[in-house]
Amino acid sequence: MQKNYFSMMVFLCFYCVQIWAQDEKELAPVTRTYALTNARIIQAPGRMIEKGTVVIKDGLIQAVGASVVVPSDAVIIKADSMFVYAGFIDGFSRVGVTKPKEEQRERPKDPGKPTNERAGITPQNDVRNFLNPSDKAIEDLRNIGFTAAQVVPHGNLLPGQSAIISLGGRTADAMVLVNNSAMYSELSGAEGVYPATIIGVMAKWRDLYRQAQAAKTNQSLYASNRVGVERPVSDRVLESFYPVIDQRMPMLFKSEKLLETQRVLMLKNDLKFPLIVGDLKEGWPIIGKLKNAGAKVFLSLDLPEEVKKDDKDKKADANSGTKKEEPKKEDKPKSAAELEKAALEKRKADAIANFTAQAASFNKAGIPFGFSAMSAKPKDIPANLRRMIAAGLPEDAALASLTTTPAQLLGLTDRLGTVDNGKMANLVITDKPYFNEKAKVRYVFVEGSLYKMEVKETKKGDPNAKVEIQGSWSTTTDSPQGKSTNKVTFKKDGSNYSGSISGGRLQNEIPLKSVTLEGNALTYSYSLSFGGRSIDVEVSATVEGDTFKGNSSVGQFGSFTIEASKDPK
Amino acid sequence: MNFKFTKIKVGSKQLAVVSAFTILLFALTATAQIERGSVLIKNGTVLTVTKGTLEQTDVLVRDGKIVQIGKSIATPAGVNVIDASGLFVMPGIIDAHSHIGLDAINEGTNAITPEVHVADAINPMQISIYRALAGGCTTSHAMHGSANSIGGQCQTIKHRFGTFDQETMKMEGAPRTIKFALGENPTGHGRRDGTQPQTRMGVEFVIREAFSQAKEYKEAWEKYNTNKLVKGFRGTPPTYSLRLETLAEILKGNIIIHCHSYRADEINMMLNVCKDFGIKRITFQHVNEGFKVAPELAAAGAMASVFSDWWQYKLEVYYSTAYNAAILVKNGVVTSINSDDAGMIRNLYHQAGKTQKYGGLSDDEALSLITINPAKQLGIENRVGSIEVGKDADFAIFKNHPLSIYGVPQYSIVDGVVRFDRAKDANDMRLWTDPKETVDIPTIHKSYAHDKDNCVQDVELDLSDLFNN
Repeated sequence: MQKNYFSMMVFLCFYCVQIWAQDEKELAPVTRTYALTNARIIQAPGRMIEKGTVVIKDGLIQAVGASVVVPSDAVIIKADSMFVYAGFIDGFSRVGVTKPKEEQRERPKDPGKPTNERAGITPQNDVRNFLNPSDKAIEDLRNIGFTAAQVVPHGNLLPGQSAIISLGGRTADAMVLVNNSAMYSELSGAEGVYPATIIGVMAKWRDLYRQAQAAKTNQSLYASNRVGVERPVSDRVLESFYPVIDQRMPMLFKSEKLLETQRVLMLKNDLKFPLIVGDLKEGWPIIGKLKNAGAKVFLSLDLPEEVKKDDKDKKADANSGTKKEEPKKEDKPKSAAELEKAALEKRKADAIANFTAQAASFNKAGIPFGFSAMSAKPKDIPANLRRMIAAGLPEDAALASLTTTPAQLLGLTDRLGTVDNGKMANLVITDKPYFNEKAKVRYVFVEGSLYKMEVKETKKGDPNAKVEIQGSWSTTTDSPQGKSTNKVTFKKDGSNYSGSISGGRLQNEIPLKSVTLEGNALTYSYSLSFGGRSIDVEVSATVEGDTFKGNSSVGQFGSFTIEASKDPK
Repeated sequence: MNFKFTKIKVGSKQLAVVSAFTILLFALTATAQIERGSVLIKNGTVLTVTKGTLEQTDVLVRDGKIVQIGKSIATPAGVNVIDASGLFVMPGIIDAHSHIGLDAINEGTNAITPEVHVADAINPMQISIYRALAGGCTTSHAMHGSANSIGGQCQTIKHRFGTFDQETMKMEGAPRTIKFALGENPTGHGRRDGTQPQTRMGVEFVIREAFSQAKEYKEAWEKYNTNKLVKGFRGTPPTYSLRLETLAEILKGNIIIHCHSYRADEINMMLNVCKDFGIKRITFQHVNEGFKVAPELAAAGAMASVFSDWWQYKLEVYYSTAYNAAILVKNGVVTSINSDDAGMIRNLYHQAGKTQKYGGLSDDEALSLITINPAKQLGIENRVGSIEVGKDADFAIFKNHPLSIYGVPQYSIVDGVVRFDRAKDANDMRLWTDPKETVDIPTIHKSYAHDKDNCVQDVELDLSDLFNN
């Protein structure tokens, strides 16, 4: 989708840094200065320069304005008629975070007394240990304008500490803007061991927190006078709560649903910790409660799919085989079943409308909120934002929730959120206003590093190309666990394709669920079963001669590059 | 135990404080916004349950409370009137054993989980709550399951269907209750996991051990709290444990035990355990062999909540009789009939009626089984369970007598608010719609048939070894 604009130069720059670390001198980068000229600059929601220049130097915004002198060493990007925004901030997700390999989880001898790790209680873990700078998800999110994100580790109950990262950078540490930004929790139980259900989880949560409060008091008493008092035992889990108890660190909960969020609020009201609610999807009935609790909120960028009325009707009609549908006459009275179905569909449509209008409701109630990309597919996010705007969220408010508000909620206003002198050079440059349906992101800057987006057309594949896929292919998928190779075989039956995949880490040959070839655009999908769960893999690629290249998207684990070549006959 | 209640003014968050439970109060001020109505129910046959049957009588409700019962009460301004001419007005039905309105029932991973509380799993949007209202049931005891010997704490809920707020579902001020379980369910579970208890002996041991630990915990804290006041005291407090904390509250008499049990021997065992640890308040649940130990139950002041005639669904319930409720009542045991089921909760009045066929109970005795008696078992008898001035305005209004097979609920009223009106019973009463649901006709909903033991929802049992224990 994108390539580094001055890839050679940047490569050299990185190379140098690496070499410097070894005390050897090499080539310095040619320049880290850029000038975006003649652009419409939206410095912040409601604050626009019609025609101006942004100068970027050494990762920072050096100058913004209508009449700014372009430094002589600057690479000039002619941004005539383009739109420059501050880089977007994702308030809560797992972008760039690797899922630790799941060990074989045997049921422990006594499911009532599992280890903390098995129960999901590892608040001492740090997401920095799981960051992977080359995770494709970082690129996907950056391609639509996001330049920073608050990320959390994988896990169920108390997986560990979150960090705020730059969506660019070579190493895990280089990505980190703020470490230990919050302590992360999900109200979900451990499989088969205590606490397994929501009631167990809530009890364990209260128990741990109160134990931590007591331990903290005991330790400070001990610290004040140690003579004649038995040493309190150190406990990593309980000690992790101390900054939260001191109100120095917020608790960050993943909480999509209404009841779940009210449960989070119960804990908050019982235990009085600072709270961030992440990936909220059903928050509109409890806006008042969230406000009273002083919770910071990141609304989900995921929305339920819109129902396309015509498609659905056709499908439903095709499915109701028993009843031969006469050509519809408008005056014909509807059957009870039809009326019931219409009423249910209306309720479903209303529900979808409510979800879509959540952001507008929060805005109307004057609650500041950011957005969360946790469960949203990056490719859906711009369209979902447009749906929220169509449902009553003003464009300025939408922009604020992508820039200034999350910067505020996360304490980053001195560095991020607006296009102003001295801020980090995190910018999104589009060819049309961002919320326009036809807008394309052309450039993204992350801390002064430029990423240029390829213009999309080339990617789509050529509908008129004639390629042949029948036969056996060797595929290589680049995943965080390393490269994996498989054999994929395609067969043609009439005009339809079928196929199978085998080899690599697969124990058996798996049939492909669907194979399509339009021109030279190839897609296929299959399901992996993984510890009793089924994970869908969807591949889309462009075929050129005896090779294809594209993306393999693996359930919620992300999307990886796949390359293949046809095996010789 | 003496519980005082909190009065809440309609339409305001102001609380008139009567209670000493400041923590509870804090929670209430923070969240509860309970809707309370005013209504005049005119000219019905009022089945008070405790004060006889009053023909052609009016009941006046103000702000959720019954303020007057009598003939020809003038309609105050702004009060809605329900014409109950030819109808029967009874107290809202109370189910002392149910699992509706909950997202989780069993934390069955450990034999002892008193720290868990089903109040954390309340789901006010469950349609089963509305269905219970359609059967005249206005209050239920949402219970933890019977997977473990000492399960979780239960929650008495009022069927205030229409709210999203879990707090609002709780019956404010209702005493704390907890689920215990004896017999096949906890032992089957133990056998599956290879943990205690695997036999009835094991159940007794597990409970006695837990109470002994709680006693030590309680004493350690008492000692620490006394020593703390001595000048120059230096020492660390005992380690906090929500589990032991909760068990200690049972020992202090602050939590009522509701004990899942079937056989006479295990009921006697549990009575002995209670006696040894000074526990006074216990209601046995199911109690299919209660008829064998009715005098013992009565003597201990223990209560019994039974099925009308459900039996034979597992080995320990083969020795059962439909006369169980009547025998317990005649022996002076405070007895209720419960549903333990989202289907049966809709016809508890039929279940109560069966005791007239099997045991010849009077109307008031039979109605007590689903009103004032379950109220006593939940410790809420000064609030609900009969139609008396000062009590909560919870009613079920029937066409035909509720104990008649022709009885049909017309209205269910909770705190003076009509929550079910047969005339306004729309097809789709759901409070919440899933935007991803598949709409298809006919929609087949989850079966609520009484073909399974809801007490063991979410757990697997190994009953293969049944005959060896």
